[in-house]
Amino acid sequence: MVAGIVTRATLAAVTVLWFILSLTACSGNNHLKLEDGLTDPVVEIVVWDKPFAGSAEKPYYDRMFQEFEQTYPHIRVIHMEAAFQKEREQFMTAVAGGEQPDLYNAAFPDMESYIDQGIPADITEMWTQYPDSADYSSIAMATAEKDGRIYGIPNFMYVTALAYNKRIFEENGINPEEAFLNWDSFAAAAEQVTDRSSNQYGYTILGTEWADWFYEYYVWQAGGDLTSKNSDGTVQLTFNSNAAVQALSYYQDLKFRYGVTQPNTLQSLDDNKKDFYAGRAATMITASNWFGEMLESGVDMDDIGVTTFPKGPAGVSLAQVGGGIWILNPNATEEKQQAAFTYATFMTSKYALEQMLRFQKEQGMLPNLLSVREDVDPIAYAEGMPEELVRSIQRAAEESRLEYFLKSRLSPYVSAAVQEVLLNENTKPYDALTQAQEKAQREVIDAYNMEFD
Amino acid sequence: MLRKLNIRWVPVLFLLPSVICYVMFKYYPLMNMAYISFFDYSIVNPPGKFIGFANYTEFLKSTTFWQAISNTFIFFGLYLVLTFWIPIVQALFLYDIRRGNAFFRFMYQLPTIMPLVGGVLVWKWMYNPDFGLLNYWLDFVGLGPYLWLNDATMTKLAIVLPAVFAGNGIALLLYYSALKSIPTEILEAAKMDGAGPWRRMWTMLLPNIKFIIVIQFVAFMSSVLLAYDHIYIMTQGGPAGSTTVVSMLVVNSAFQQSRFGISGAVSVFMFIVIALLTIIQNKISAEKD
Repeated sequence: MVAGIVTRATLAAVTVLWFILSLTACSGNNHLKLEDGLTDPVVEIVVWDKPFAGSAEKPYYDRMFQEFEQTYPHIRVIHMEAAFQKEREQFMTAVAGGEQPDLYNAAFPDMESYIDQGIPADITEMWTQYPDSADYSSIAMATAEKDGRIYGIPNFMYVTALAYNKRIFEENGINPEEAFLNWDSFAAAAEQVTDRSSNQYGYTILGTEWADWFYEYYVWQAGGDLTSKNSDGTVQLTFNSNAAVQALSYYQDLKFRYGVTQPNTLQSLDDNKKDFYAGRAATMITASNWFGEMLESGVDMDDIGVTTFPKGPAGVSLAQVGGGIWILNPNATEEKQQAAFTYATFMTSKYALEQMLRFQKEQGMLPNLLSVREDVDPIAYAEGMPEELVRSIQRAAEESRLEYFLKSRLSPYVSAAVQEVLLNENTKPYDALTQAQEKAQREVIDAYNMEFD
Repeated sequence: MLRKLNIRWVPVLFLLPSVICYVMFKYYPLMNMAYISFFDYSIVNPPGKFIGFANYTEFLKSTTFWQAISNTFIFFGLYLVLTFWIPIVQALFLYDIRRGNAFFRFMYQLPTIMPLVGGVLVWKWMYNPDFGLLNYWLDFVGLGPYLWLNDATMTKLAIVLPAVFAGNGIALLLYYSALKSIPTEILEAAKMDGAGPWRRMWTMLLPNIKFIIVIQFVAFMSSVLLAYDHIYIMTQGGPAGSTTVVSMLVVNSAFQQSRFGISGAVSVFMFIVIALLTIIQNKISAEKD
């Protein structure tokens, strides 16, 4: 009997030991070791830049990844794919878990908050020694800079504009130039092309969780903004300024007075795009890097016109510039940071960007007409692209600005006000915006401004 | 005289792996969450500045939090009234079905193997105002199109509705098993004494499965109060925050606003609320026994 107990106890002990060893093995480090015990001189970096499955540009990236490996054999890049449209949350999870990638493409509006939190490494020294640093767009660099220090390398840029379906406008005998003159003429034209019996409507309004994204353009066009930054660094909310209220009233009119938007104003941006590509929507806000996607979706580009935004009450048709910035992990070793910097500058070099434009041209894809480098001219590769479209993007880029300050923290408040107004014609834009402002003031701005006391 | 400690090592050793796992993956995150709730948490240099209960006072003063709490409890009420009792009734019917019993059990179980995301996406498609099935049917009777997920007053119901039609197959199976464990002699005796179906149900069947109902209620309560995924897929918390629940606030505070301290504080609050409700519920149920 004693022997039986001993055997059972031994069995149990072995099971527990096996379990503990398994756990230990799982948490082991992954330093590369040579057989003689010396550390491998290859520097390994993790970059979240693996193209999404089905991406038309995948062959280009595969080629560039290979070229980089050949040019820099001492750097081994592990390309990881980020979750589509959820990469921000995924990135913050990684940072919180101590798994921040060595290189990550951060969106322009997130940079301010990331820099405040110390998420990107300060790369000022590397940047000042980089011979091409002066060739990067100053607008993009503005988002990567704070207090004279540099925190990122511009990766890509886009500018927004208004796309319209030429066929629908022709069929209705509307001259686009006159239609897109100002807000009133736009609403009238959109009303004219809206035909509910054939499931056709005038304008895809954005009412999702990102509703503030396009709404802010209307605030600019009305002569205002959603926040203003004071000289001492503090921020003042201007959600219920005249311009913001005018813009939201116009939104409400498009939905209820003119009835020109999609029935489901909360449908996703992807669904908005599908409506436009399928010819159900006559107009849509687009970006300079969306034309490739349009073409891939089977849209005949001869049917698509692009124009600057209709002028608002302030007489301006401001568009938005956005994009991505490569940021480095501040906790990575110096070697890894240097390797990540080398990789980011390689992928945004004149050579790499021109290779991309050449690839797109060869594949019949439409290029992004805005480049992060001033020594790269995408227009030269825009052969076959309607001239009017190219001109419109150029004009939009001339009259454009970055998104409102602190957008990454204030977006849910503004978007909620936009949604309220789009869902209920009796909601007063001023009231919705005032309520949103008071909430945001208490929950975000008071704490933010206290940091400057 | 000291009592000799007699430890049976075999069960202890066999239990150890699961205890280690529980401590590592349940208690450690729980403790860590409570710990970070007292800090102005810095994601890069954790834990950041100690601020005591400031995170707690901040979220308790926030209208967004109270709106989320209100939404969470409205969802709880809706799920309770519309769905909780369904598997109990289904199990009672199933208990009395002799022919084709296995077929019905199989049919009830089938939806449980369907991924949640897939099921929710199908319902989202059904709610689509342009080409959704529900509006297509409404059109037949001259109604609609109705914007199911756009109307702040209707959205919560639209989110709960799938659970009404595609109920909880696992709960049904548990109730059914509990009913089957009731000795048939007692029921036969009751029948012979003249107890009708209603009387047998209220005085014999339901009291005998009460322990399962209590356990299921505790699980139901925590799953509804901490619901996230299907609400997020349907509405992302909209329109205008009308379906933003507390668990969504926890995720948004942490991963959208980088306020991990607030996120931890709200989580601790919800932990306390659910623990209190469970204790109260267990007490009431024990008193009734």
